[in-house]
Amino acid sequence: MVAALIQAAGRRTEPPADAYRQVLDAAMTALREKSRRRRERSWLIGAAAAGIAAVSVMLLLQRGEVSLQPRMATVVRTIGAVELRSGERWKPLVESGGAIPAGTSLRTLAGGGAALSLGDGTSLRLAATTEVQFDGPRHILLRDGMLYLDNRASLGTGFRIGTPLGTVHDIGTQFEVRVADGMLRLRVREGHVEIDRAGERLTGGAGEQLEIDVLGGVTRSMIGTTDPAWRWAETMAPAPDIDGRPATELLAWVARETGRRLRYQSPDVEQRAATVILHGNIRHLAPLAALDAMLATTDLEYVLEGDTMEIRARTE
Amino acid sequence: MADLVHVDRAVARRILGGDEAAFREMFDRFFPRLYRFALARLDGDADTARDIVQQTFCNAIQRLDGYRGEAALYTWFCQICRNVLADHFRKRGRGVARVVLLEDQPDARAILEALAAPVSDEPESRVWRLQVRRLVEATLDALPGNYGDVLEWKYLDGQSVAEIAQRLGLGPKAAESQLQRAREAFRVAIADLASASDELMGTLGRSPG
Repeated sequence: MVAALIQAAGRRTEPPADAYRQVLDAAMTALREKSRRRRERSWLIGAAAAGIAAVSVMLLLQRGEVSLQPRMATVVRTIGAVELRSGERWKPLVESGGAIPAGTSLRTLAGGGAALSLGDGTSLRLAATTEVQFDGPRHILLRDGMLYLDNRASLGTGFRIGTPLGTVHDIGTQFEVRVADGMLRLRVREGHVEIDRAGERLTGGAGEQLEIDVLGGVTRSMIGTTDPAWRWAETMAPAPDIDGRPATELLAWVARETGRRLRYQSPDVEQRAATVILHGNIRHLAPLAALDAMLATTDLEYVLEGDTMEIRARTE
Repeated sequence: MADLVHVDRAVARRILGGDEAAFREMFDRFFPRLYRFALARLDGDADTARDIVQQTFCNAIQRLDGYRGEAALYTWFCQICRNVLADHFRKRGRGVARVVLLEDQPDARAILEALAAPVSDEPESRVWRLQVRRLVEATLDALPGNYGDVLEWKYLDGQSVAEIAQRLGLGPKAAESQLQRAREAFRVAIADLASASDELMGTLGRSPG
């Protein structure tokens, strides 16, 4: 019976030789990359065990008192559980304000989030269950999850976001990158963003969403600058220090964070906003909530119309 | 099976340690089987099957640290391949279950009917024979070690036990023993697939193999 069945079925299908070659090449590349990363990790462990002096330096590094690496970022705000790793082990990030040296990884757990300052006024935000590594100046590796980057720098000083499915380059813009379920998703809120993927270059403009799957398929769609999908990044926005500052600064911040164009009802209203000096702080308030709280004490009000936020003189 | 799992875990550790020869040996064993696994679920789309298997290997390498040896390594690869296929179908708005294979459904009574039916040129008969062919392919691919190859060498190439022993680098008695275990594994695998069919079980029980 065994013989009869096998003979009736015939020889099994052989894969084409070119498919064998292509898949083998890709798999060997992936294997060598993984081996390289494992060697680097092993080297770090060995270095850490080299002597008491090295251990002492590591302890100081963990406390943030000494850093042998240039500072890549500063943690501005955290929500829920956030952990960092500068060697082999993950450790809870207990407070904001810590410097992140090059080579450090940061991850948010379920329900968590983090906001970091990357210098030049650039803000990086991590959604829940996200892991990034700060590889070097203006180079971040997104291993998993979702990040939002608001880069206010001038043209030509953008960031590179490495992902398993391609590298994202920004040029002074606001955008979101998500890596999950074998898919890279890019949402551009302002400016332009490029993606390099296996030698192919894709560009996404403001209001565009690109989804790239593991097989290289690209799906484009539109997403408004005020779409509720941006809400998580707004919630994580680090609030500026507005105490003693004119209302125009707060209004500009809220407009940018909510993806809206700022418009004044009249030159007089704009002049009035410039002379209103705010007092207090808006820490941990989302942009619109901060605006509600601060304008309540002034004779100004705002109206949202599509993607525009208009500032008017209070009428009541 | 416990020994096989243990061996696979050792293989995974060697690969993780950078042993490219161990990886090539594993790749050569798994690639044709995974390719057929994907091809059968993609309506014969060879290009997509190649891409799916490529992604399967890349994903598996990334996650190899997480392989604990609870299942055979090939079974673990098949599960990753299923996930890559599911992603592929979902992104194209196609249901995963559009291609229903005999080895994917518990009731294999149809196998018996196909085997018992006289050879015919009717389209329906050809479809069933293709299904049977696919079932035998899948069963051979699912057998542990090189049992599938041994059975093909014996029953398709007509090689003697001595010739098989030479290919395996074994003595004649060890080769005969391996051939016997391969036959038994194939018989058990087919019987498991066709567990709903008393007739087939009976046939297998009566057959000398």
